[in-house]
Amino acid sequence: MRVRGTRVALPPAPVVHRRFEELVDDAPDHLAVVCGGQRATYQELNAMANRFAHFLMSRGTGPGARVGVCLDYSIDMLVAILGTLKSGAAYVPLDPSYPAQRLRAMVEQLTDLASIVVSPSTAGLVSAANAELVDLEALSELLATQSPANPDVSVTGQDLCYAVFTSGSTGIPKVAGVRHEGWFNLLNWLSLEYGLHQGSDNLVVSAFGFDLTQRALLAPLFCGATQHLIPSRHFDTALAYRTLAEHHIRTVHCGTSALYLLIDWETARGSGALDRVGHIFFGGEPMSADRVVPWADREGNTCRLLHQYGVAECTDVASSYDLADYLAGGGGTDVVPVGKPVHNTDIHIVDEQLLPVAPGEYGEICISGISIGVGYLNAGGSGSDRFVRVVRDGVPIRLYKTGDRGTVTAGGDLVVAGRLDSQVKVRGMRIDPVDVERHLDRLAGVRASAVVPRRHGSGEVELVAFIVPDGGEIVTNDVRSRLVAVLPQNMVPAEFITVPEIPLNPHGKKDHRALAERLHGSARRPVDDARAG
Amino acid sequence: MIADRVRAIWCAELKVDEVADDDDFFALGGHSVVLARIQLTLLDELGVEVPMDQLFRNSTVGALSSYLEAKGLTP
Repeated sequence: MRVRGTRVALPPAPVVHRRFEELVDDAPDHLAVVCGGQRATYQELNAMANRFAHFLMSRGTGPGARVGVCLDYSIDMLVAILGTLKSGAAYVPLDPSYPAQRLRAMVEQLTDLASIVVSPSTAGLVSAANAELVDLEALSELLATQSPANPDVSVTGQDLCYAVFTSGSTGIPKVAGVRHEGWFNLLNWLSLEYGLHQGSDNLVVSAFGFDLTQRALLAPLFCGATQHLIPSRHFDTALAYRTLAEHHIRTVHCGTSALYLLIDWETARGSGALDRVGHIFFGGEPMSADRVVPWADREGNTCRLLHQYGVAECTDVASSYDLADYLAGGGGTDVVPVGKPVHNTDIHIVDEQLLPVAPGEYGEICISGISIGVGYLNAGGSGSDRFVRVVRDGVPIRLYKTGDRGTVTAGGDLVVAGRLDSQVKVRGMRIDPVDVERHLDRLAGVRASAVVPRRHGSGEVELVAFIVPDGGEIVTNDVRSRLVAVLPQNMVPAEFITVPEIPLNPHGKKDHRALAERLHGSARRPVDDARAG
Repeated sequence: MIADRVRAIWCAELKVDEVADDDDFFALGGHSVVLARIQLTLLDELGVEVPMDQLFRNSTVGALSSYLEAKGLTP
């Protein structure tokens, strides 16, 4: 089974920042970004980014190089991103809400990092990292002497544009890199498919490290609209909601759990702001229709909700579904499809031999086409077996095996039905529980551990850790606080249970299934039962 | 007492039976999404909008209750 995305021709150099530069020429005085009390027009933002690009280039940073960006939401964040891209280098978001130790482990995976852009409030987080720190504020005098003109650097669609971290089963975060033409294609598809334009003001509500955030950051600057940033390190529903209303925000890209929070906030406050947003693009974890439909169905709700699916390894979004189609069909099933492929991207459902399954059958979801990324920049090739070459219709193509199980409906919409491996999505972050186990096992006092997902009735998933103490008592709060220091929040289990031993299956491996069943009892559905179905 | 309302909300969202006045939210396994739900429940049940940075800063039942009282909230 193969579903083809519409083929759409792209310019000869499908490079994201070139489109931004064209928009600067078209409307130099239009507002590009608003953040707190600060704002910058397209021309001002472009000049700042160009000065930074020329500075990077004077240091020898250019095509093939990578620059870390460890900044809070600010105009400088866009300057750092655009400046890096203009120099020909790719950027790597380093979320300052992560623990310093995790950030250091991430930077260690990027041995060839040219520099890390920081601010006075983030420098301390990455100061121990083995890379040169660049503080835009401290450099303001030097930057002022640089040229504000667009740098003349040859960047092609094949060049890397950004790389984001994902969880790996080795305990080492993996860095998935994507290319300009894939990102350009995604942003171009968004603009054309949903008619985004100069009035499509956007608000960023997701965390910096996610792939969807890279799209959210550049999407308005790709269609001439204004970007709105909230200068806060943590998602604040109250602040986000107020900003939506005050600035008449028209587009939002967010994780499914953030959408729930915004909907619940609007429901509790009773005033309409979210329902006047033009488009909300959401996804990243299984959607519970009950959490969205009552609000979406309300009279006067003019918001278009797009339920999306994709993976970081293939430039974020692979398919999109208009929730109006689900509502028009009267709902019915609780499984909301994720729709049809983006431009120049195909979705395949294959069996274990990588052969296409018959229409309507289930198999592994694979992605091919322009959005397929370059693979992992680190991890010594670990996980690269997910990128495979196959022949389809007599043509050799590259496929990315997502590890997700799915099918295509008679109407041609993709439906996701869980994972084929043990990975889980916790609040939008794809996590391999083995990654968490490796960190737990390293802690003094822990002899062995097993981490399993627990699904709540609301559809939310959390991790539960079973720990075997290494003799004597172990204080679970102490284990938790030591994990908090090294892992992002989403990877820290919600509950720790001390057990005398980890059960083994007949193969002598940790029996995660038995532990999951113990957690859920007989009444609840284990999160990975899709494997059995 | 405001503190009783706050404690009840914390227990429900953190899924624990008891929280002392000086127990730290993050040491109890709290994270920003749980905090976001607490922010929502405070709006829903007490009708008060508490900024997220204040929830981060006042990370015990005692501190948050004092903050809410200082804001003029009465039980």
